[in-house]
Amino acid sequence: MQPTSGPSPAADLLPPVGPLRVAPDELGPEDRLGPSELLREGATHVWGLVRGRPLGFATAVVGSVTFVAAVLATSRVVGGLTDTLLVPVLEQGEAPGPRLRDAVVALLAVGVWRALGITLRRSAAGWTQYGVLADLRRRLVSHQLDLPLSWYVRQRVGDLLAVNDAHARQATFVLAPLPFATGAVVLALGTVGLTTFIDPVLGLAVAAALAVVVVVEMVVAWSAFRAFVVEQRRRSVVARTAHESIDGAQTVRALGARERETARFARDVGSLRDAEVVVHRRFAWMRAAMDALPSSLSIPVVVLGAVRVDAGVISPGDLVTVAYLLALLSMPLALLGFLLWDTAHSLTAWRRVRTVLDVEQVVEHGDDEHVPAGPAAVDVRTVTFGYGDPSTPVLHDLDLRLDGGGTIAVVGPTASGKTSLLTLLARLWDPDGGAVRLDGRDLRGLDRAALPAQVALVGQEAFLFDDSIRGNVALGLDVDDAAVWDALALAGVDDVVRELAGGLDAVVGERGATLSGGQRQRLALARALVRRPRLLLLDDATSAVDPSVEARILAGLRESALPATVVLVASRPASIALCDEVVLLEQGRVVAQGAHEELLRTEPRYAHLLQAYERDREERAGTTGGPT
Amino acid sequence: MSDTAAPSTGDTAAPSTGDTAAPSSGDTAAPSTGDRLLGDAPPGSVLATLRRTAHAAPQLVAGIRTTFLLALLGSAGLLAAPLVVQRLLDVHLLSDVPLDLAAVLRLGALGLVAGLAGAGANQRAVQRMMTATAEAIASLRVQALDRLHALPVLEVQAERRGALVARVTTDLDVVTQFVGWGGVGFAVGAVRVTAALAAVGVVEWRLLVVLLPPLAVYALALGASQRLLQRAHDRVRGHVATSLGAVGEAVSGLPTIRAYGAEHRTRERVGDALEEQFRAEYRVGVLGAVLFSSAEVFAAVLTAVAVAGGVLIAGGTALSAGEVVAVLFLVTLLLDPVQTMVETIHEAQSAGAGLRRVLHLLQREPEDRVGDPLPLPAGALGVRIDRVTFAYPGGEPVLVDVRLDVEPGSHVAIVGTTGSGKTTLAKVVVRLLRARAGRVELGGVALERVATDELRHRVAFVPQEGFLFDGTVLENLRVAAPALTVEGAHEAAVRLGVDGWLLGLADGLATDVGERGGRLSAGERQLVALLRAALRSPDLLVLDEATSAVDPALEVALRTAIERLGTGRTVVTIAHRLSTAEAADHVVVMARGRVVEQGTHTALVAAGGAYAHLHADWESGTATPTGQLARGGDA
Repeated sequence: MQPTSGPSPAADLLPPVGPLRVAPDELGPEDRLGPSELLREGATHVWGLVRGRPLGFATAVVGSVTFVAAVLATSRVVGGLTDTLLVPVLEQGEAPGPRLRDAVVALLAVGVWRALGITLRRSAAGWTQYGVLADLRRRLVSHQLDLPLSWYVRQRVGDLLAVNDAHARQATFVLAPLPFATGAVVLALGTVGLTTFIDPVLGLAVAAALAVVVVVEMVVAWSAFRAFVVEQRRRSVVARTAHESIDGAQTVRALGARERETARFARDVGSLRDAEVVVHRRFAWMRAAMDALPSSLSIPVVVLGAVRVDAGVISPGDLVTVAYLLALLSMPLALLGFLLWDTAHSLTAWRRVRTVLDVEQVVEHGDDEHVPAGPAAVDVRTVTFGYGDPSTPVLHDLDLRLDGGGTIAVVGPTASGKTSLLTLLARLWDPDGGAVRLDGRDLRGLDRAALPAQVALVGQEAFLFDDSIRGNVALGLDVDDAAVWDALALAGVDDVVRELAGGLDAVVGERGATLSGGQRQRLALARALVRRPRLLLLDDATSAVDPSVEARILAGLRESALPATVVLVASRPASIALCDEVVLLEQGRVVAQGAHEELLRTEPRYAHLLQAYERDREERAGTTGGPT
Repeated sequence: MSDTAAPSTGDTAAPSTGDTAAPSSGDTAAPSTGDRLLGDAPPGSVLATLRRTAHAAPQLVAGIRTTFLLALLGSAGLLAAPLVVQRLLDVHLLSDVPLDLAAVLRLGALGLVAGLAGAGANQRAVQRMMTATAEAIASLRVQALDRLHALPVLEVQAERRGALVARVTTDLDVVTQFVGWGGVGFAVGAVRVTAALAAVGVVEWRLLVVLLPPLAVYALALGASQRLLQRAHDRVRGHVATSLGAVGEAVSGLPTIRAYGAEHRTRERVGDALEEQFRAEYRVGVLGAVLFSSAEVFAAVLTAVAVAGGVLIAGGTALSAGEVVAVLFLVTLLLDPVQTMVETIHEAQSAGAGLRRVLHLLQREPEDRVGDPLPLPAGALGVRIDRVTFAYPGGEPVLVDVRLDVEPGSHVAIVGTTGSGKTTLAKVVVRLLRARAGRVELGGVALERVATDELRHRVAFVPQEGFLFDGTVLENLRVAAPALTVEGAHEAAVRLGVDGWLLGLADGLATDVGERGGRLSAGERQLVALLRAALRSPDLLVLDEATSAVDPALEVALRTAIERLGTGRTVVTIAHRLSTAEAADHVVVMARGRVVEQGTHTALVAAGGAYAHLHADWESGTATPTGQLARGGDA
């Protein structure tokens, strides 16, 4: 093992510990809760969780109360054996006889009783907590699948993943201490009742002492809430920065930007640490209060008891009982502190989870289930579109009509809106103005299942699932292997699959890591083809495929008599020339539409774009007489 | 009393990274073997780990003596209150002496003060301990990320992003958790156990002797059951990873799922995975409950031993009933902290494992530390590649015996089909990859002897997929040129001929590019990457299909600009489109990891070899059929 060297110089980039400076945008008004608001919201949250699995929770509480009763019984057994065994044998010199055996049996019996209570509580609490968590995560995923892409693209994927995992977990964490804490509350109320029965004055004192403990714990938990919120946000910032920095490792290296990256990360880590320090300070107070307050406050109660004994109101035995109960209470009271702390902590995560769950812009689907036969006709009317921001439109009053059938190339300079147009045709987004129609029907009126049954979009970046080839191609569609092979053949990737160990059953790994970019793209194409769509949209879907292979695929599509209108974004002139029709986009508008040859003749902008290489070649030949 | 288990720790299960399904970048991950970057750190004792941590982050142990003293005082204060109550009852109430109210009040006040002072000391101790930990962890995070950026790119890229991110995030969060809940409990527990055992010894040493063996067995049994639980948790981890993967895919792949109407399938997959995880977690939960309960039964056994031992030893000694009762209370006082401490060991282990993984990373020598650097000559840098061989770990050689000379100031195009090794060669030239055999020289200096800073400032590399950071266009350009002004950025755009594009953006230079530049098109991202390189005015510019995603007209314009900018510099271009090769001074053709042809464009076309073939294929692709016809007619 190499010796560990001291801190690396990078550590010096970390700013020194400072007071918590909260930026104005870090906390909103909703993060400033009063103690009672926190209590109310916390109680609502906890109640909402419990309602998910009420039976499990109730069972856990029963287990908890069983355990509390067993603890009380233990104190009775110990008290009893003092009187019947220890005093007679040790003080009066009697022989132990069967009394010793009885005492041992009694001790073991209450031990088993306690054990049963714990088993019941912990099992049921686990069932409740894990079950509620699984339900919540299921609900989250399901909800996100219903939300429009316009919402999705505004989220950071890393943040969403955190919501679906860490935050969901933390939001349900409060269920762990809850059953026992409920048992503790029962015990506390019982103690107050019993003491009041003995002596109302003493009962009042006990109630007051308990109230002080609970209020102090509540205030500490409340005072930590804002720090929790800040800490949580900064923690996601740190994760985000780390993720981005590592993702861009090659660029960081190539640009020699390591120190910049480390400094940027150090800044984020430093501000997370400052928030952590504040949370820790509160936590230290919480622990100190939980450990010391219950037992310390029992002192004034016992002193008051002594006065009451002196006054002859209660007997010394009564006071011993009360003191014993108070001693028993100190742990459950500490637990209540944990519960309050965890509630505040859970609440910050729950609020984050709710930012997803409460989004209500679910994609509205119509009820038009009709799927006509044959290639789809497309009608785009005065569409304006700006990716959720209508003030900076990418498409302006775009009109486009395709009669159905054939292959149509969408051509245009970089950033002219080609991808945006295809995105609208697949209804991954809805236009800000105007309408997109399929065979005269507005896409928004189509039934949820009717749309993917007719339209398939293949993008530049193929997303593959960690599943078999078959699973990735079928993607939930009920098709036989022959259909999958047909699609693979049409996409020009059947040979590749045949060579994989396992063929259709070969698993492609996380994000299709075992395949090359071109292979991934062709699998994604097969995924679209197997659905036999009426409108097939290819957005530079073969950009990583060698030109000759691309040409073969396009030719195959034409010859396959696919009953589809194929719209493709392509930049290779040869591929474009294979299309029946060309749509020229410029700055978000259709500026020309027609057959390739016709456009070459009539549309200078098209010729300029497409013949760039030839022109360049000719210019080069003309000016320099060819490279030497 | 027993199974409270600090709520926030007890069943924490595996640290969840929350982002395991990290988006993997374009490059296919190279298979990794052997000395893995994130390979399992060698096991070590908790103490040794702490020592090494303290060495790497001295903040951890700054002022530790004071902290420990405060913790001792605090623990002592905690014992004060119960003792005072006991004494109040024993001496003042249960005895026959008449009540002395003044004495009672004095004793009460004393207990209260001691208890609250103890609380204060505890607060300070816990706060100091946790703050020191937070500082040390922050330092480790920064050092770890810095080190990741100094290790071979190949190794970094071969790892799952989620696991790498965990090194600087969740792996260390576990440590805070341990210190906050377990560590403090451990310290307090240790004090309590020692005090209670001492008290038993004072009462009756033989009782201590009788109690110690079962107590030791108890602690060992608890330890064994913890290990059992730990193994069960390890088994759950597989289910946790599966469901994390399923959920991760559902979230990252949402656009695909929506596009293919695969929502139903996704719901089923996620639902199944979550159900499996739930069942597994629940089963472990029940196992934990049963193990924990048996510990409770054992506690009863221990109490019984104390009672029986007390009764049987007592014959002929002065042991009183009161003393045996006192011992019984002390035994209950013992069990709780012992249980907490044993549970803590588990947390200490996962915290230790997290720390060791980070320390393991910090032990790796930074790759970019050049022992005895040699300066590069001024001006354009030539490249000399001599018998270079390269293979990704566990794979076939990707470069075989490559020899190549690039004259300073020349423009060279490297062409070849997909998978011929072009990109690998480019990365070897800019030292993003290191050749396994052979020699690479830059301006006559061995590449590995060039100081990293000088290398990065004299040589610019533009990959096919330039990585953009979440932020504005200007911020992204500043990654390459930290002092860049708005004017400077515009000038660079004009030089590159993309000022029109820049002005057309919604907010110009202030346009937010989004996560990984996702709000820009692939072609636009390439423009930003090219601008970065242009800002550097490098003496060697290496372009790896850097304009593959822009339209033909723009590509031609960009190439002309690059040629102009590259006057007096060396430019090496990996070309996807052969138009670049047509314009280069020198063309290098690669196939299956070897250089198979080189020469000028015209010479190679005339030679009728591999290049002529490629070029014909390309021409038929680029030439618009009518154009071709026209030329065909001319011929």
